[in-house]
Amino acid sequence: MKLPPLTIGKFTAQVPLVQGGMSIRVSTSALAVPVAECGGIGTIGGSAIPVEELQADIRKAKAATKGIIAVNIMFAMKNFYSLVQGSIEAGVDMIVTGAGFSRDIFKIGKETNTPIVSIVSSPSFAMLAEKLGAAAIVVEAKEAGGHLGTTVPLRELFPEIRKVVKKVPLIAAGGITNGFEMAEMMDKYGADGVQIATRFVLTKECSVADSFKQAMLHARKEDIALIKSPVGLPGRAIRTPFVEKLLSQADLKAKECKYKCLKKCDHVYCISDRLTAACEGNIEDGLVFSGENVFKMKEILTVREVFDQFVSQAESMYKEPGVTYPGAVAQ
Amino acid sequence: MSVQEKLIDIIAEQLSVDKDKVVPGASFIDDLGADSLDLVELIMAMEEAFDIEIADDVAEKITTVQHAIDHVNKVAG
Repeated sequence: MKLPPLTIGKFTAQVPLVQGGMSIRVSTSALAVPVAECGGIGTIGGSAIPVEELQADIRKAKAATKGIIAVNIMFAMKNFYSLVQGSIEAGVDMIVTGAGFSRDIFKIGKETNTPIVSIVSSPSFAMLAEKLGAAAIVVEAKEAGGHLGTTVPLRELFPEIRKVVKKVPLIAAGGITNGFEMAEMMDKYGADGVQIATRFVLTKECSVADSFKQAMLHARKEDIALIKSPVGLPGRAIRTPFVEKLLSQADLKAKECKYKCLKKCDHVYCISDRLTAACEGNIEDGLVFSGENVFKMKEILTVREVFDQFVSQAESMYKEPGVTYPGAVAQ
Repeated sequence: MSVQEKLIDIIAEQLSVDKDKVVPGASFIDDLGADSLDLVELIMAMEEAFDIEIADDVAEKITTVQHAIDHVNKVAG
């Protein structure tokens, strides 16, 4: 059956597929625009880049599509409010935020009529976000890439949060690789949509260096590791040579703090430098954040092909008579 | 009831700890076992009890019982 649209505040995405925001410069307008054009929600990663650069990219995206453009900004950023205000000034449609919990963001959302989407990993924060005025909530489980707020898998975490969030759309995220899982999350678990990120890095449009995509494409299951991030959360990443060094407790401290990007940083390594290095193609010294199921993805597609694949797979199962979904899938 | 007494009651209740542990020097996270959600809820309880508004950037600096007392004394005193 045809998938329902996803309405967040005043915006309706014809396809209930949200592209997860990826910083630094992994999801830019180059990726967000085709996602929005395909009827999903395209998200620019807005953390750890200059406000002016983010604004220019939002303007570029908004000029290129009538679709929905969001920006994802981590609360852990020192200049969180400048990034938020700058994004709204530049005309972004909605703000997605996680990695810490801001209450002021909901006031800013109300004052500027900008929907705020909260990424949460626990029922209690989901309830708080709904109470404070989140326009939608993303449940991000342990299978996700990048910074993580939980060790609980999606199929355990999602039902706990589905029970307590009643009024706003609830979006499932973490480890979703195909449309069958999208249908499963929406049909069996009651999600209003899904957020996927890693799958969208493996597209022609994603603007990261080709070696970044190749690192993802060649990653085996055992090549994915949990690391400590200076943000104060664990992060899921590919075992690049840098990550191997980090895991073996090597001293990777940066000589100086060039960016002063985080409110609190343990300075064990410079995450801005490492993410930027990977994005630009230096996999040896770089940090490649990735979802747990990257090893299931074997090809680089266009964004349109990803959408077509997800939608056709999902609609072949969604609310179709006689469809049964597997129990908790062993990963 | 003084600001300090009222705050100690709120903190003890929000963090589910004995009042005698809520001493001025106590850190919410390190000494009183608060997690990130507890901190947000504590700040919201303070706002309600003293009819004040505490912005995120101010809330982030309130990490001990003394900080909370000082802040309330400053803005509600």
